[in-house]
Amino acid sequence: MTFYSPWGFLALIGVPVIIIFYLLKQRHEDFTVSSLYLWEEVIKDLEANTSWQKLKKNTLMILQIIAVILLAFALSKPYLSHLESNIQNVVVVIDTSMSMQSKMGNKTRFDEAKAKAREYISNLKPNTYVTLVSMGKNIVIEESLSKNKSSLLNSLNSIEVTNTVLNTDDAKSTIYSIANQHPNTKVVLFGDQNFYIEGVDMEFSASFDEAENFAIINLSHTVTEKGITALSTIANYTQSDAKIPLSIYLDGKVYDAKYVDISPYETTNVYWNNLPESTNIIEVRIDKEDALNIDNVYWNVVEKGLGNKALLVSDGNVFIEKALALSNKVELYKTQPDENREFTGYDLYIFDGFLPENIPESGSIMIFNPPENQLFEIKETVEIPQIKELKGEVFKYVKEFDFSVGESKIVEVPLWAEEIIEYKEGSGGFMGDLNNQRILVIAFDIFKTDISITPAFPIFITNAMEWLLPSAIENIAGVNPKDSIIFNLHPGAEKAFVETPSKEVFEVAPPFPPRVFDRTEEPGVYTLVQKTSEGEIKYNFAVNVPSKYESDINKKVAVQEGNEDVREGQIVKTGRDIQSVFIWIIIIILLIEWWVYKNGV
Amino acid sequence: MKGNSFGMGSLFDSDFLKKLEQFQLWSKIMTQDGGAGNRKSRAKGSSVEFSDYREYIMGDDFKKIDWNAYGRFKKLFIKLFMEERESPVQIFLDVSKSMDYGEPDKSIASRRLAAAIAYISLCNYDRVSIACVNDKIDKFKSSLRGKNSFKEVMSLLENIEYSGTTNIYETIAKYPFRFGKGVSLVISDFFCEGNYVDMIKYLQFKKQHVYVCHILSPQEISPEIGESVRLIDSETGMYREVAVSKNLLNMYNKAYQKFINTFEENSAKMGVHYMLMETSLPIEELIRMVVSKE
Repeated sequence: MTFYSPWGFLALIGVPVIIIFYLLKQRHEDFTVSSLYLWEEVIKDLEANTSWQKLKKNTLMILQIIAVILLAFALSKPYLSHLESNIQNVVVVIDTSMSMQSKMGNKTRFDEAKAKAREYISNLKPNTYVTLVSMGKNIVIEESLSKNKSSLLNSLNSIEVTNTVLNTDDAKSTIYSIANQHPNTKVVLFGDQNFYIEGVDMEFSASFDEAENFAIINLSHTVTEKGITALSTIANYTQSDAKIPLSIYLDGKVYDAKYVDISPYETTNVYWNNLPESTNIIEVRIDKEDALNIDNVYWNVVEKGLGNKALLVSDGNVFIEKALALSNKVELYKTQPDENREFTGYDLYIFDGFLPENIPESGSIMIFNPPENQLFEIKETVEIPQIKELKGEVFKYVKEFDFSVGESKIVEVPLWAEEIIEYKEGSGGFMGDLNNQRILVIAFDIFKTDISITPAFPIFITNAMEWLLPSAIENIAGVNPKDSIIFNLHPGAEKAFVETPSKEVFEVAPPFPPRVFDRTEEPGVYTLVQKTSEGEIKYNFAVNVPSKYESDINKKVAVQEGNEDVREGQIVKTGRDIQSVFIWIIIIILLIEWWVYKNGV
Repeated sequence: MKGNSFGMGSLFDSDFLKKLEQFQLWSKIMTQDGGAGNRKSRAKGSSVEFSDYREYIMGDDFKKIDWNAYGRFKKLFIKLFMEERESPVQIFLDVSKSMDYGEPDKSIASRRLAAAIAYISLCNYDRVSIACVNDKIDKFKSSLRGKNSFKEVMSLLENIEYSGTTNIYETIAKYPFRFGKGVSLVISDFFCEGNYVDMIKYLQFKKQHVYVCHILSPQEISPEIGESVRLIDSETGMYREVAVSKNLLNMYNKAYQKFINTFEENSAKMGVHYMLMETSLPIEELIRMVVSKE
């Protein structure tokens, strides 16, 4: 037993004080008797059992002395320790990822983990520094190196479970850096997923219970001639075959329902065919309660043609036409190069071996094989340039050796642009933003390369379209809760706000550029509303829970890393703050004293 | 007789003194030695009180022939008279500090008792001696005779100062008896160390008919004291602190009973008249107790 406030023993002064009080109180009243002759006899007899007599007479005093001694103990913060005595710092980590919402009887894993953490913190030695960390998608240090248990417990209480994926890498690096700040630091992880960090003294307190869970891990759609076909992927995270009832909602109304049989730990694709073309929002539900209900619904927004008009100015380039046809983003128009024509009214201009004198002032521009112009300088033309490096997001997934170039111009990269093709001989292309116009320049003629007959071409074109005609948000299908979104607002938007699934409204603009929107905790369909002088542009996007990563709630708690030992969920021993035990005993003794006093025993 | 004339208003009143004369004390105790007193002796003697007749025999005193009887019966009869002899009465009165205690006070009851017995004895022409005893003979009056001497008794008793410790056994055992057979009356609370039996033996050796008046106040018989007290010895000033409980009082009661029983047993063995007297009893009752032992 350790005492963390030895000053509490000063209360022992109370013992002699009580004894003195009793002695003072016991000053006998003088009583004169004729003679002590008879009394001496009595007292002689009495002294034979005097110790018991005294004890009996002083029961109250003895009880009071015991109470004072116990009080001294209680004030000295007694602690029964199981922790290694050299542990000065403890990092308490709470898993707030989505799987922690799984039910465990009447409560959730998260409730259980919090309760365990609460007990753990309460029973820590009083002089232990505690760092409280919550880890979900974001790793948050809730309290750092605090000895104040009530503040720690308050912080612990305010931690809430999220709908996010546990960001194990961030968690590891954060915990590693905290643990290595101070020597003798122990990390205790409260959650349903263990991990091991080399060089860190870790313990794991599992809040885990085998439970039944089904999840929808994906939902997408394609637009066909017969309408829309939705593809949902259903997973069975249980030990047995399951017949799962599914239903599909279109724009909030039930449209169809079916059963699907899935083997244990298998996923199945379920197709929903011939959905009406007018559908905006597809929602698939599992109509069955399980341990984790939040992953039983998935939304998908049907992207309509966005009305982006593109003008291809070329003497004829079938490759570009075909490649653009793959993208449902643009409505393609074609025209012949004409020096005298004024180019306006399109969202994208693709100039192939031609540039007008008056460069369009709005809309994005893509230029292949540029002639001499005022925008940038063309240095020379080289034969078989050697591609040194392909850069920029337009060449994402494209490697330098994917294609080769027979002849290309060398261009000077202007200040407002970044080089995207680097030849040994110079720059072969760039992209950049000039006066809010996105301009992409490729210095070679497509007919003088083999790119058009390689898989790299459609990839390149798709990437280029993404950049030149940005969506309102990027990565539209993959928004998860707590993701931050930077909206690419319509150039004419005067005001923009987002309506959440629970109809809360958050303004994102003005001011421009729009604020980062991060109120995406709630899964469901959000609507971005942009107000322009011509009216409202509404844009829906779905936020779905990361069921692909978090719904397998029965995966092994212990995660092995390397060849290190795997720690199964264990009961974390701390020790016990026994101050309250002493206080209870004191209360009982005071009750006994009251009873003794009342009954005059 | 006016009680006040003896100046003992505080101890006796005149009515009570009148009652005293009615007690016939010492009827059984017939001393045969000593001078002629008002005590009836078994020896037929020359007192005025007629006892019996018997026929004249040679050698009898002519003066004792009842000539009236001779006139009637023509026989010589001699009148026999009770020979009245004085009986020395020795009163030992404990005047230690412990005797000045109790409600009613032992000092008053004991002095009244002593005075009453002295008075009765004097009325019967007995020779009375009073010794006030603590750890020594404090005061004494001896060989008082006749009612007129009662004043001296009064003065002695009135001027007693209760002090000192009781050592009555040893003090009495050293007391020089100057007269022969007699009556000794010991009035004490006997709260002292010593040998009661030795004292009695001594008195009996001195041919004393012993009366023991053990006088105690009600507070000594069953004490009523508070919870926690310091008991102070009135004689020595010594004290003992006790926490009074039912148990303690029970133990005191047992000790008291043992104390009394010892006296009763020893007295019975020794043929001594032992009387336990509680001061709360009326004085008449106390005197009657003594008288009834005759």
